[in-house]
Amino acid sequence: MFKFFSSTNTYLLIQKLIKFINSIFFLILIIGLTFALVLSPPDYLQGDSVRIMYVHVPSAWIGLACFSVITVLSILNFIFKIKNFYFINKSIAPIGMLFTCLAIVTGSLWGQPTWGTWWAWDARLTSMLALMLFYMFYILTFKLLREKELIIKVSSVIAIVGSINLPIIKYSVEWWATLHQPASIKIIGSNSIHPQMMMPLMVMLLVFLLYAALIFLMKYKTEIIRIKKKNIKRS
Amino acid sequence: MISNFITMNGYGLYVWLSFSLTFISCMVVYFKTKKTLQKYEQEFITELQALTLEERNKVLDTSKVAHQILATSSKVN
Repeated sequence: MFKFFSSTNTYLLIQKLIKFINSIFFLILIIGLTFALVLSPPDYLQGDSVRIMYVHVPSAWIGLACFSVITVLSILNFIFKIKNFYFINKSIAPIGMLFTCLAIVTGSLWGQPTWGTWWAWDARLTSMLALMLFYMFYILTFKLLREKELIIKVSSVIAIVGSINLPIIKYSVEWWATLHQPASIKIIGSNSIHPQMMMPLMVMLLVFLLYAALIFLMKYKTEIIRIKKKNIKRS
Repeated sequence: MISNFITMNGYGLYVWLSFSLTFISCMVVYFKTKKTLQKYEQEFITELQALTLEERNKVLDTSKVAHQILATSSKVN
């Protein structure tokens, strides 16, 4: 099984996956945008500003998911010393940072017409800002530090400390009185979102996931080439 | 109908700004990532070509990835 995850097999798989995503991406993007901007109905309270949800919510979910993956892989890397996890985390972090920033900016653009303010220091918004800062520190460790062992230690500590913020983001709307509305979509229990809005949201989530996967694969491929380049120098 | 689509019943500025900011930042990250990837592929090939024929064959024999990088790069360029 470990042979399957050799850099050669991984590289070939990455090539195929990049081709596959490139071939279907624009079709799904057009379907998603058509649903989000044309076919989905306006909200009875928020009107057409609700369409911002189709970029805001998937961005926030992916921002959170990326940090969760980074945390799990950091813990596993700390215990089992699997060097691939280091490269996976290094490739995922900028994607998580991008989507967290997008969630904050689009949230602010949604906040102005809905709440009458661009920003409020409420629990959800502040905890998302904290997540962005954790991403920033995490990425900076790769940029500023030189020794790989030290990078692994420092970045793992940042990821583990930052993971405390994840449940705070999730439950902030329930624990405190916030401007931000409670979750409309729940894994367990019934959703309070109409299927006509749920469908475009899921298509847009798929678009964002495909994009995130594409960037991850390209970054991971770059890391493999970087290692192979070092090997040429050594040989 | 088209004017309604553009103005989004008064929310056009917020909606279009959100979608365009998302689209532009994703495009910037995509092209930056692609450029870095191509830069490393090119550097890898340059270093491979700087080797002697014997050394190059040795690298290509032991690494399928090196073969793949060469193949991909020749398709791209």
